[in-house]
Amino acid sequence: MTSEIVDTLLTTARGVFAAVGPLVVLFLVFQVFLLDLPRSDVRRILVGTAAAAAGLFLFLLGVGIGFLPFGRLIGEALATMPAQWLLGIFGAVLGFVTAFSEPAVRILADEVDTASNGAIPPRLVIYTICIGVAVWVGLGLLRIAYEIPLTWLLVPGYSIVIVLFWLCDKDFVSIAIDAGGVTTGPMANTFLLALALGLAAATGDRDPLLYGLGLVALIALAPIMSLVALGSLVRRKTRTKRSKEDAEYIAHREHSA
Amino acid sequence: MADVVPLLKEKVAEVLRAMLPLVGIVVALQLGLVHAPSAVFVQFVVGSLLAIVGMVLIFIGVEIGILPMGRFIGAELPRKGSLMLIVAVSFSLGFATTVAEPDVLVLAQQVDVASDGAISERSVLYVIALGVGVFAALAMARIIWGVSMKLLLTLAFGTALALSFFAPPEFVPMAYDAGSVTTGVLTTPVVISLALGLSAVLAGRSAVSDGFGLLGFGSIGPIIAVLIMGIVAG
Repeated sequence: MTSEIVDTLLTTARGVFAAVGPLVVLFLVFQVFLLDLPRSDVRRILVGTAAAAAGLFLFLLGVGIGFLPFGRLIGEALATMPAQWLLGIFGAVLGFVTAFSEPAVRILADEVDTASNGAIPPRLVIYTICIGVAVWVGLGLLRIAYEIPLTWLLVPGYSIVIVLFWLCDKDFVSIAIDAGGVTTGPMANTFLLALALGLAAATGDRDPLLYGLGLVALIALAPIMSLVALGSLVRRKTRTKRSKEDAEYIAHREHSA
Repeated sequence: MADVVPLLKEKVAEVLRAMLPLVGIVVALQLGLVHAPSAVFVQFVVGSLLAIVGMVLIFIGVEIGILPMGRFIGAELPRKGSLMLIVAVSFSLGFATTVAEPDVLVLAQQVDVASDGAISERSVLYVIALGVGVFAALAMARIIWGVSMKLLLTLAFGTALALSFFAPPEFVPMAYDAGSVTTGVLTTPVVISLALGLSAVLAGRSAVSDGFGLLGFGSIGPIIAVLIMGIVAG
């Protein structure tokens, strides 16, 4: 147990260093050669970065010692469910709350709020991401139970996404792509991954590695799909609301852009 | 630093709202279904507290340090640098943050095993990092040239999907997983604010549709890279 915790401490510290090191080096190179910011700005940036690095260390440590072992136990317990379809419901609930607690999801939502001057509120982005993850984690756990090949979900999923790109408001396309990256953050990658591994291991002859990995791939797809779906609805709604003249003007503007 | 107290209050409230549903569900599962030994449950409670304190620090640090860092660099790049410099910076940022990421190492080991050692761990690591670097640079160049994101994404995902049918089946989950191991919590705000800074300085760019997408687009690179490695190995 103690050596386990020391191990976790070391790997966590290494991970944080790996994340922060390149950023600080890049910033300092820029500061020396191009930026030449006043000293107070540099100090503020470095203090903030140090705080974020310390925070990331504590967060990853907490996830590693608290959520990783528990995720595995939950996965093993879910394998004893009387009816396998119940896994879909448990998966959906756990997927929703995990995405809801992912720090980078909130950072992305806040940045969208700022960049759109409040036109796209952070809650809308967060809830859309969480609903997408709920659906796909539910499907992902069912996939483990019923041994469905991953490509059966990934290929139709990404094909639908490609079609929706062309129906979608272009702001939402860019946000959706970034959301795919941020949703597979440390919480999903440890807690839900451990849960999937526990479930696959306890369900018998599944290759746990193959099935656990598949879940993370689905979590990356989930918010892309739910956000481009929302973006397509937003575009349809704004289109039908406007008069014909307006629609022509927009078409013209989009054509020339 | 007098502004730290209201910032702290705001972030603590936000983090509690974010974490409590997850913690609540896990506690409910513990009571109703899992019945884990109390030592493991205590470890969970301690871990949750650490995660909450950590997330508060992350949010504060991001707001006062990391976001301004990205914004300054993004705004300054097009003013003083050439297109080459911007693309080079995006490439090195993508490459450096990936090569150092522990998750990528774990993935590289799996590819090594899946290919029976035909593809060494080290080569996987560099190919994935190269994939991120190239796609990050492409995404940055797109903002400058004004190429449509939809077109670029359709081509990139279309390529990945097509390759999925030719790659050995054990490589497919690894490939799509590779796309998700590369975006860290701290890389996120830097890359987003850098792209936002860049799109703010360039004339005629939309803050939202040009400022976002850079981060996620970088993660398609490793999917394609791993699928190609699978085809070569198989």
